[in-house]
Amino acid sequence: MSSKLKKIFMVGSLACLTVIASTAFAQTGAFPNQPLKLVIPYPPGGALSVLGAVVTTSAEQHFGQPMISLVRAGGGGATGSALVAQTPADGYTLLLGEPTIVSLRPQVEKLPYTSDDFVPVARLTKAPIMFVAASAAPFSDLKGMIDYAKANPNKLLYSSDNKNGWTYTGFELLKKSAGIEMKGIEFGGGGPAITNVLGGNTMAYAGDPSILMDHIKAGKLKALCVADSSRYELAKDVPTCKEAGANIEWSLWIGVLVRKGTPADRVEKLRASFAALSKDDAFLRILARTNTTLAYMDGAQFSKFVADEQSSLKKLYDAK
Amino acid sequence: MFENILAGFSVLLDGWPIVAALGGLALGVVVGAIPGLTATMTIAILMPFTFFLPPAVAIGFLLGIYKGAVYGGSIPAVLINTPGTAAAAATCLDGSVLAKSGQAKKALQMSLYASVVGDLLSTILLIAVAAPLAAVAVKFSAPEYTLLFIFSLMLVAAVSGPNPMKGLLSAGIGALVGCVGMDPASGSQRYVFGSTDILGGVPLVPLLIGMFALAEVLDRVSKPLSLQHIASQVPTTAGPSLTKMEFTKCLPTIFRSSGIGAVIGVLPGLGAEIACWIAYGVAKKRSKEPEKYGKGSIEGVSASESANNACVPGDLIPMLVFGIPGDVVTAVLMGAFIAQGLTPGPLLFVNHGPVIYALYAILIMTNIALIFFGLIAIRAFSKILALPQIYVFGCVTVLAVAGSYAINSDFFDVTVMFIGGIAGFVMRRTGIPVAPFIISMLLTPMLENNFRQTLSMSDVGLAIFVQRPISAGLLAFFVFVAFVLFRSAKVRRLPA
Repeated sequence: MSSKLKKIFMVGSLACLTVIASTAFAQTGAFPNQPLKLVIPYPPGGALSVLGAVVTTSAEQHFGQPMISLVRAGGGGATGSALVAQTPADGYTLLLGEPTIVSLRPQVEKLPYTSDDFVPVARLTKAPIMFVAASAAPFSDLKGMIDYAKANPNKLLYSSDNKNGWTYTGFELLKKSAGIEMKGIEFGGGGPAITNVLGGNTMAYAGDPSILMDHIKAGKLKALCVADSSRYELAKDVPTCKEAGANIEWSLWIGVLVRKGTPADRVEKLRASFAALSKDDAFLRILARTNTTLAYMDGAQFSKFVADEQSSLKKLYDAK
Repeated sequence: MFENILAGFSVLLDGWPIVAALGGLALGVVVGAIPGLTATMTIAILMPFTFFLPPAVAIGFLLGIYKGAVYGGSIPAVLINTPGTAAAAATCLDGSVLAKSGQAKKALQMSLYASVVGDLLSTILLIAVAAPLAAVAVKFSAPEYTLLFIFSLMLVAAVSGPNPMKGLLSAGIGALVGCVGMDPASGSQRYVFGSTDILGGVPLVPLLIGMFALAEVLDRVSKPLSLQHIASQVPTTAGPSLTKMEFTKCLPTIFRSSGIGAVIGVLPGLGAEIACWIAYGVAKKRSKEPEKYGKGSIEGVSASESANNACVPGDLIPMLVFGIPGDVVTAVLMGAFIAQGLTPGPLLFVNHGPVIYALYAILIMTNIALIFFGLIAIRAFSKILALPQIYVFGCVTVLAVAGSYAINSDFFDVTVMFIGGIAGFVMRRTGIPVAPFIISMLLTPMLENNFRQTLSMSDVGLAIFVQRPISAGLLAFFVFVAFVLFRSAKVRRLPA
C-alpha cells in the first residue's frame, strides 16, 4: 500500500479512536450530566416524531444537556414503551407517549409493560378527534351517519388505524354511545386510512383536525363533529359531538413520561425543565408553524388526568 | 401559474437554496455510499437543524440528501457487493460481478447515467401531472394492491435463476421472515418468542447489510488460504469506460424501469426498496439476453438504478398533493415540510405556490448536478479497488457492525446483521438465490394485509376484484400477460 494511503489510514484510525475514547470518560455532576434520550415509539414522519424533533431542538438550554430523539417503532407503539419500562429508572430515558399506548392497550392487551410502569412528567399537546365523511358519502352530518348506520348495520365502512389504536377507539366510543354497528378496516396507520377515505373506498374516518382541515377546506372531506367539550378553534362551524348527537370526548394527547421508580428529585427537575420549555418563544414559534397548539399540563395535573382517563377507559371496556 | 414560476425562480436567485441543495446532494452521495448510513437517518438527524432556515433552503437541502443517497448506494453495491442503501440491493447482483471481472467503471457509470435519466423522467412527470396522477393513485385501495402484489410475487420466478425449486424455497423463507412481528389487524404477536425488540418485524437494512456485506466477507475468508493470498495482492482494475453503444442498447430498459419506479413511487406505501427488484425482474423477463442477469449484465444494473431513482420524485407526488407519505423517507421529509409551515395537502399549491415551484427548479438542478458529483464520487471511491482486499474487507466488517448500530442506536440491529450474514453465507454455498427471499420478505406481509382488508371491505367475497373498475382492469391485464408468457414458453419448448 502506498505510503500516502497508509498515512491517511493511520490518521483516520487515530481520529476515530480518539472520538470513541472521549465519549467513554465518566462525567460527574448534578442530574442531568449526560444527554437525555426521548424515545419515540412510532415511525418517523408521524405527529409524535415531528413534535419530538421540535422538543429536542429547543430542549438543551432548559435541561442543561442535549436531548436526543430515539425512534423505536414497532408493535403499534409497544416496542418503544416496553423499552422505557425496562431501562434503569435513572431519569435519562423519557417516553413520548399518547393515550393508547399508556392508558388503553396495557389494560386490554397482554403487553410487556403496564400503565403503572410510568410516571407522567408533562403533557405537551392535546388534539380532539374529528370525525369526517368522504365527499361522496350518503350523509353530511353526524345524525345522517347514525341514521344510515342504523338502516344499514355493518355496511358503513370506515377507515381505522390499528386494533385499539386512536382512531379505532374513537369509533368504538361513538358506536357504543349511538348504539350503531359499523365496520372498520384497519389500514395500519393514519396515512393509508386517509388515502382510502379520500379515494372513496371507505365512507368515514376520524383523526387529527390539524391534518384534516386542509382536506375539509378543499371540499374533499365533510366534517361531522369534534369529540371535545368545546368547538375546535380553527373550525368554529363544526359542532361538538355532544351538540351533534353523541356525548363522547376523545383526544390524542402527547406527553412525556418517565419510568416509575425514578428518584423523586429527578422527576421534579424534569418537570421544572419542561415547564420552562413550555414558555420558550422559539419552541412556541416552531410549534405554531406545525399547526399545533401547546396544551401544557404540569406533572401533578397530568398524573391526575392520566389516572382519570385510565379508569374511564377501563369502564368502557369492562362494559363491552 | 406563470407568476408562481417566476416567483419560484426569484426565490432561487437568493443563492442560498442552490448552495444548500448542492451541498445536500454531495452529502447524500457520500452518506448513500457508506453502508449503514441511510438517507432516512441523515434527514431525521439534520431535520431539526433546518427548522430555523427559510423553507426553500431547508427543504432543498433535505431533498438533495435524499436524491444523492439513492444514487450513492449503488457505489458500494458495485465495488464491494454491499448495498449502501436498501434501494441498491438489486444492483449488487450484476454490479458486483462486473466489478470482480474488472469492469467496475462500466457498472458505476451505467448506474450513474441510468439514475440520472430515471430521476429526470420522473421529475418531469411530477412537475407536469402531479395532481391528476395523485387523484388516480388515491383510487387504489386494498383490492388493487392485492393484485399488484400477487403479480409482483410472480416475478420471483424470473429471478430464481437456474433452479426454480431453490427459488421457491428462498421465497418461502422470505415470507416466513416477513411475518415476524405484531400483526396490525388482530394485534397478535407472531414468532416473537417474547422479545420486545422484534415486535416491529425484522429490520430490513441491517438484514441486507448482513446478507450482502458480511456474507461476502465470510465467503472470501472461507476460501483456501493460497487462493486468498493471491487475491489479496492483486488489485482489480477499474476497466474500460461505458461505450455509447452499450448505453443506447439499454435505453428501452431504462425507460421501462423508470416508468415502473415512478408508478411505484406514486402509489403510497411502496418505495425504492421494492421498485429496484420489480424493475429488475421485469427487465429480465423482457430481455433478449436473460441468461446474463446475475452474471454481470449491464442491463440489469441499468434497470435497478433507473427504477430506484425514478421513485424519488414519484414518492413526492402523494406527499405534496395529499400529505400522504410514499415511503419512510418521504414521511420524515413531510415532518420537515410541516415544521416549515408547508402543510402538505390540497392547499399547499394554493398557499405556497412560489416555494413549490422553487423546489421543482431545485429538483431539476440537482438532477443535472448529480452527473458531476457522481463522476467525482466514482473516481474517488474507485481508488478502493487499488487497495489489497484484506484491508477493504476489514473495513467492510467494521462498517457493517457500526452501520447496523448507527441506524437506531440499537444493538438488536447488529444481532440481526450477524444472523443475516450467516444466512447469506449459507445461501451462497447452497446455491439458494437471494433475490426471491428479499422480494418475498417485503411483499408477503403487505399482500396479506391488503388481502385481509379487501375481504373486510367486500360483502361479495372475492367478486370485489371484478366489481371495481381498476382492479378488474388489472386482473384482465395480468391474465393476458400470463397467457402470452405461457404461449411463448410452450413455443420455446417445441423441438427446433
